[in-house]
Amino acid sequence: MTSTSDTATPRSRKGVDGWRWTGRIFLTIMILYTALPMVWMLLTSIKSGFAAMQFPPQWWPTEPTLASYRKLLDPQNSVGQDFLRFFWNSLFVSFVTTVLAVVVAVPAAYAFSRFRFPGRKFLFFAVLLRNMFPAVIFLVPLFILMRVLGLVNTHGSLILTYLTFGLPLAIWLLKGFYDNIPIQLEQAARIDGATRFQAFLLIVTPLSVPGIIATAIYSFIGAWNEYIYAATFLTKNEQLTLPVGIQRFFSENTTDFPGLMAASFIMSVPVVVLFLVLQKYFVRALTEGAVKH
Amino acid sequence: MAEVVLQHVMKYYGSMAAVNDVNFTVNHGEFVALVGPSGCGKTTTLNLIAGLLPMSGGDIKIGDRIVNDLDPKDRDIAMVFQNYALYPNKTVFQNLAFPLQMRKLPKDEINRKVQEAAKVLDITHLLERKPRELSGGQQQRVALGRALVRDPAVFLMDEPLSNLDAKLRVQMRSEIKRFHQDLNATIVYVTHDQLEAVTMADKMAVMNGGLLQQYDTPAQVFANPVNMFVASFIGSPAMSLVPLDVATVDGKTVLTSAEGWNLPLSDANARKVAGASSRKVVLGARHSTIKLHKSQVAGSVPSKVYTVEPTGDITFVQAFLSGAIVNISLPPTASVAPDEMVWLEFDQERIHLFDGETEMALRAA
Repeated sequence: MTSTSDTATPRSRKGVDGWRWTGRIFLTIMILYTALPMVWMLLTSIKSGFAAMQFPPQWWPTEPTLASYRKLLDPQNSVGQDFLRFFWNSLFVSFVTTVLAVVVAVPAAYAFSRFRFPGRKFLFFAVLLRNMFPAVIFLVPLFILMRVLGLVNTHGSLILTYLTFGLPLAIWLLKGFYDNIPIQLEQAARIDGATRFQAFLLIVTPLSVPGIIATAIYSFIGAWNEYIYAATFLTKNEQLTLPVGIQRFFSENTTDFPGLMAASFIMSVPVVVLFLVLQKYFVRALTEGAVKH
Repeated sequence: MAEVVLQHVMKYYGSMAAVNDVNFTVNHGEFVALVGPSGCGKTTTLNLIAGLLPMSGGDIKIGDRIVNDLDPKDRDIAMVFQNYALYPNKTVFQNLAFPLQMRKLPKDEINRKVQEAAKVLDITHLLERKPRELSGGQQQRVALGRALVRDPAVFLMDEPLSNLDAKLRVQMRSEIKRFHQDLNATIVYVTHDQLEAVTMADKMAVMNGGLLQQYDTPAQVFANPVNMFVASFIGSPAMSLVPLDVATVDGKTVLTSAEGWNLPLSDANARKVAGASSRKVVLGARHSTIKLHKSQVAGSVPSKVYTVEPTGDITFVQAFLSGAIVNISLPPTASVAPDEMVWLEFDQERIHLFDGETEMALRAA
């Protein structure tokens, strides 16, 4: 490397450095843009209520306190009870959505990838149709549908709705994954004594774990953060999910910014943890098939 | 070990027949090569034997069972794939053990058989590795090992050597041949490389356009190709084919060229061309049966040299003859120059004659 830069002319080195610095500056701006709100959220969450309202703002809290967190996570007081219930509701809805999405998407994606059946192409693009329109368009029709099904004010209505968002992309993502697994592996397994299903279960599924995990994370985050449908379909306080719950909870008490920020921070914890634990699979999923093995 | 019988086997894709009424029998312990150009139906035929594709018609027998409706797992076969198809998340040991586990063998027996197979193929030191940590040749051995660990009735091999480099290919070729001899295994082997087929197989099935062209020993296919396709496909360099016309000069049958020369035929060859469906006849000759002369001799025909290719122990000459190109092999001492006029003498005993219309070999009536 050094020898090439030694022989390179000063002008071209300057050009490279110029691009490199442009890149660095751009990346720095992007990092600040994404990270600063998070940092501000964290800082505000450990301020007292009074400190949070000061102007000019305290950049660094003079008396950091975990009081907001204690209040939110304490099952003894009413705030903590509500918050923990919302948290549990969100976890339940997101978890069930994720499990169902994977259970349906895995065989569906495999079928789209491996089998040729009448209407295959039509069906495959039909699953995407739902994602070609803004979510709000389906709000009223889905609400009517849920009312007919008797699912309004149940978590079932949200799980069903989130599946209509999540499944199409989950199927697309996984199909690409199965397309990259050579069919000869299954053929070899079937000749080696496996049934078609065993070949799928014992050979193909372990290889598609990264894809399944990516799909699961995607479904989970989609369900975890969703607001509009949750706000429309649920009215009873004890059923609310976190995004709606936090919004309602703090619109009654607008001045408690540290509490709001602490709640937002706790809400981001499961997603961050999920990402950190599974990120190596997630990255592998996105780059799988990029290079011929 | 078992025999494999194909009877009137058909495979349609839509209205296109990928395999069209193919019949042949692979005897116990025979090594049969399915050979032909890309898209000739050889791999489809192999997949039909394996049961990976449903047949459109006909019967396939393995041993004394008709296997038409059996799953691949119930056909008692093993297959080696072109891309090896090793299970990437399993170690070599687990790859070899998989077919045995699927048959629910006890653990110690699996262990014993895997070790045995690994020893035969000299891959014992690789058993704990993953396939991606192996070289192409080692992957190839593991793929072979996975096939032989189970002692199946028939081995199916789909171009197992075509992903290897040239040197390794020659080495593995003799290893597979040795493996066949030691195990007395029944093997059906697909290749597009006629040299592989000729050097390894007991019999070869030459396919083209979904049709079985010829099924015989390599020596017979080489010596008596049934039609122009087989003649031009088998042998390297290919048999030279020169389209000519039949004529009678002074009561003798000759082949005549638009270039103005006549090639008198022997009595035996004259009887062959008498059966042709028209006056058009194609003369076929292999490079080693043509003599090259610097001056005209009796029965020779004039030609112009196109290229000269010395290979070390043989020099190949290509020459124009009646609009076609003829391959001739010469000793390396021969001195011939491009564009030189030469005279070619054909060995009447060893030339091939084909019907210019049907492209079938002409036989003495």
